Order: sequence, then structure tokens, then C-alpha cells
Amino acid sequence: MSILIDKNTKVLVQGITGKEGGRAAEDMLAYGTAVIGGTSPGKGGAREKNNLPVFNSVAEAMAAYPDIGASMIAVPAPFVFDAAMEAIASRIPLIVILSEKVPVSHVAKIIAHAKLNGVRIVGPSSIGIISPGRAKIGSVGAAGIADRIFSPGTVGVISKSGGMTAELSRILTDAGIGQSTAIGIGGDLLIGTDFVDAALLFEQDKDTKALAIFGEIGGTYEEQLADAIRQKKITKPVVALIAGQFSEQLATGAVLGHAGAIVMKGAGSFTSKIKALREAGAIVAETPEDIPVHLQQLLGKTI
Amino acid sequence: MNLLEYQGKELLKKYAIPVPDSFLMYPESFLPDLSIPFFLKSQVAAGDRNKYGGIVQVESAADFISAKEKLFKTPIAGLKPDVLLAEKKIGYTGELYLSFSYDTRTRAPALSLARQGGSGVAEACVFPIDIVTGLQDFFIRDALLSAGLPLHAELKGIIQKLWRLFESEHALVAEINPLFATGETGYIAGDAKIILDDYHANPEYRPFIDLPGDIAIIASGGGASMLNIDALMHAGGKPANYAEYSGNPPASVVEELTVRILTKPGLKGCWVIGGTANFTDIYETMLGFVAGLRKISPKPDFPIVIRRDGPRREEAFQMLQEVASREGYTFSLFGPEVPMAYTAEYLVKKIYEHSDR
Repeated sequence: MSILIDKNTKVLVQGITGKEGGRAAEDMLAYGTAVIGGTSPGKGGAREKNNLPVFNSVAEAMAAYPDIGASMIAVPAPFVFDAAMEAIASRIPLIVILSEKVPVSHVAKIIAHAKLNGVRIVGPSSIGIISPGRAKIGSVGAAGIADRIFSPGTVGVISKSGGMTAELSRILTDAGIGQSTAIGIGGDLLIGTDFVDAALLFEQDKDTKALAIFGEIGGTYEEQLADAIRQKKITKPVVALIAGQFSEQLATGAVLGHAGAIVMKGAGSFTSKIKALREAGAIVAETPEDIPVHLQQLLGKTI
Repeated sequence: MNLLEYQGKELLKKYAIPVPDSFLMYPESFLPDLSIPFFLKSQVAAGDRNKYGGIVQVESAADFISAKEKLFKTPIAGLKPDVLLAEKKIGYTGELYLSFSYDTRTRAPALSLARQGGSGVAEACVFPIDIVTGLQDFFIRDALLSAGLPLHAELKGIIQKLWRLFESEHALVAEINPLFATGETGYIAGDAKIILDDYHANPEYRPFIDLPGDIAIIASGGGASMLNIDALMHAGGKPANYAEYSGNPPASVVEELTVRILTKPGLKGCWVIGGTANFTDIYETMLGFVAGLRKISPKPDFPIVIRRDGPRREEAFQMLQEVASREGYTFSLFGPEVPMAYTAEYLVKKIYEHSDR
């Protein structure tokens, strides 16, 4: 089992004739994802490089494939707002935004409209979602190395960082621990699916036995996960790794790696996150390599 | 991008929010045309300037010179000012707190208000804004009533104007603290803390922070780069910078970054670090690193530790080995067989041996 995507999820690619969109589509097809085509306004009717149909609009694609289950957005940042609103208007249930550097004011509006329309946003700045051995959406695990990094199994991976989604999964795979689904939620200040949202899905997935998460300083998403664990909304074991301890030596307000990593007035600091997670009963790992060690101790041979 | 107080106040003025009369002061500036006493304020991007001696009340013309000289020499949170703000002293009856920012709990913008502003603002009331509805007058009235503040037209007007600034300028934070209440119904901004959305202001923006150490770092990916600076510091290394690239950049981007970080004097080592990449072309990015390295003069003879994994790693490492032996660089190459943190320890040990010789 897996969350969010499987072999049967029909995926649309918004921006399929672009460099990023085309490459991701090719990779997703190679992995076995049911990519049905993509959009590129003005290029409708053509076939793109993978011989997939190109539509002028999401509505046109929906007319041809009414059961599209997910859309991947890989368009330049200034066009993301329009692309996301278009997918929301067609009520595509899962919208994964890969584009980086989307203005926060746009993201806030996208999230509000998605909520009103009952659809889920993952990202922006998401590396994508992969259910190993089944399907993937996004740039996660390029063809040729995906099988070395990801393997099917019972640990759910949730990461703010795309690179660490792969690094953690590879470390788990090397330790003989497979993943049910690995999801890059993005490191922006505002994100459509946070740790709690993703963890709640894993909580419902009967094949996921534990969660491995990668968090960073800034924002309150890690603290909110701690709250959800304390309130018993999340009961599966959580092993977390948090980056950015060094920032406690910098002036407040410094913006680090990800746009969400603004450290302000103590809230969202490394210490605050570690403390909240430990007190809630999560295990905080010191290094990526400690994560499989903790998981093996927690779950023994049931992994 | 954190605006300095005077830059923030220029924005407030643009949106017709009252600010005190003021002048920018440089080391060579003469006494400003303000009635004495007035304030001299250090223009650095740090909080609690008052606590660290960054705000001085000038009591006389003679006072001005010594206060000015002292402020230019006084670091606050490690930062010395390039400019001071000389500002009229405002008589006030109350100090309020007012801000707009994004709340990661509601994932929406929020209005924050407190009756007691100033540097010790304890708890502000936070009111999440429904961005589909926008900021309506009824919302502001309700917020003012909940926070125990008066329903003055001037105050409501300032809140509306600050919201327009927040939206139109694509700010992440727009804070006035304190907002002075003067007399019956007047209000004037005592300070301005405004952070603009870098990605809106400059889509080419890449995070870069100068740090006081001696190990240059080129990290790949925002998350791994933070994790790795933590690892380097745990290993006893001192990072010289925070810099990263993400995604799958062309060689030229990595080349430019390499030149930028390696031109810093006094470096003792360089760490090129990243996890297992999803789709970053390792060969392409390492070509960029080598191109940048070749531009550094004198030629770096310090240890360079590279730990990378991802598409085209084997080709990249073969190329790097050839460059090292042909051009005489000291590269230590690692793949996924060793943890990222191990290569931090390795580099720190190597630097120690290197400088010991």
C-alpha cells in the first residue's frame, strides 16, 4: 500500500513542453506512472517528445480523461499561481507543485482556494512523491538511480528537502528498510501539505509502520507534528532529523537554505523543534545514519 | 530581504503612514536640522537595538559628535552600521504593537495587535486573515475590540494602509513596533521592521551568508546544506560561508558560486557536499566547480573534500581525478559509501594535518 499515488493514478503534467516538465514526464513514464498527457497553452493537439498528447488547458484534458487523479505543475514561478488555480478550478484532487521560488503571497491564495474546493496541494518546491515500485510524481528519483535509492517497504518518509528525501530513503534502503511512500513537502514558508497532513495519511495506511521525517528550522510545522503526536492523532512511531542548529548563532531574521527557514523571536528554532518532538514522544536522530538504527530498535524484525 | 529601519520607514511614507521627521547620517554628517533632544539610531538589521546601545538620545550639539562616532563603532549582534538615522523625538501617551506576517499554523496572513508595544512586547493577539475575503473593515473593528484598542478612524486607517503595503510590496513581515499614540487620536510609527519576499523581489536570488570561519562550503540542496553546516561545526570545523545551489543548475551557476566563496582570504579547506541527488547532474555541476577553481589565484593548495552522489557521479569523479593529478589539486572524493558527516570529520582532520606541516 501507499499514500497519495499508486499505479492507477492518472497524472497530468502542466507545463509538459518545458524542460523540467518534459524531463519529469519521461522519468515518470519510465517508472511506470500512468501519465496521460500534459498541458501547454497554444500547443494543444500536438504530441510531445514522449508521444503523449498535449492539451491547451486542464479543462480540455479533463474532457478527454475525466478521471485524472493528480496534476504535476512544473512551470516558471510567475506562472504557478495561474496553473494551480486552473487545476483547482477543474477540481483535480491532488496538485503537486514542483516549481521553486513561488512568491508566498501566491502560495497563501492557492492554499486558501484549494481548501475551499476540497483539493490537496503538495508543495511548492516539492521534489515529488514516490510510492516505490508503483508510481511517482515529480523529479524524485531520476531514471537509472531510482531503484538504488528507493525500495518498497513499510516506512513513510516526509521531508521538507528534496535532496534529503532521496538521501534518507537511500540510507533506509541500504539498511534493508523499504518505504511505503516518500513525499517531499517542500521547504517554503507556506506549504499545501505539512508534516501533520502527510502523517495523518500514513496513519490511515495499514502498511506503513513508522515515519521518518526531515525537518528544518523556521515555521511551526515540526511543532505542529509534535502537537498531533501528543494528542494521539499520530500513533505510529516517528523518527525525526532536524537541520539548522548552527542558525542559533546567527542574527534573527536571517534567511537560510529554504525560504521557510526564517528564524524569528525564538519560534521555529532548532531548540524549540527538538524539545517539542522529544516531549511528544518522537525520537530525534542525530544524523541521517541514526534513523535506520532507531527504526530497527523500534520495530525489530517487523519492518 | 530584511529592510533597515529607514528603508522600512520610506515604505511606510509611500503608503501614507505617519513617521517622525528624520535625516540619514554618515560619519562626515553635520548636526541635523532637528530640535534638541533628538534620537540617533544605528541602522543595522537586528532586534533589541536599544538594549545593546544602538539608540542614543542627543541632548546637545556637542553631544552629537561623540554619540555619532560611538554608534558607528558599536557592533550590534556583530553588525556595525553604515548609516545612522537622526530622528525627531515624539511625545506619546501610549505604545502599540501592529504587524502583518504569515502564520504557519493557519497557513495564511495574520494581523497581530498588542496594547503594550516596545521592545518587551509580551503577547500580541493574532488574527488570521481569510485571504479569499481579504481584510475588511469589520475584521479590523473586531480585532481592535478583542485587543482592547479604541476604534479610532486613524488607527483603522493605519492598519488598512499597512495591509496594502504588505500585499503590494510582497512583504513576509510588516511590523510597526512601537506605534506611538499621540494625544487623542494621532498615531505615528516609532520603528519599522519589514522583510520582503526575496523570491518576489529577485527570482535569481540565492541564499548566501558570510560566516567568520575558514572552511569554504559549496552545498547542494537547502536541507542538506543546513544539516551539513551543523555536522561541520560538530566536527570542530569553522564554516566560512553559507552557500548552496539546488535543482539541476548549469555549470556556470556552480562556477560563479565557487569563485565567490573561494576568493575569501585565509581559507584552510573546501568542502563540496551533498546527499544523493534526485536529478542534479553531478558531472555538469562538478565541471562548474572545476571551472571556478581554475580562476582562483593563487592556486588553492588546501585540502578539498568532495562528497556527492546522484546521476553521472562516476563520470564526474573520473573527471575530477584527472583534473587533480594533471593540475595538482588535493581532492578527496567520496560517494554514498560514507556518511556526509564523516567527510566533515575527515576534512577537519586533514586541515589540521595540513596546517601542521
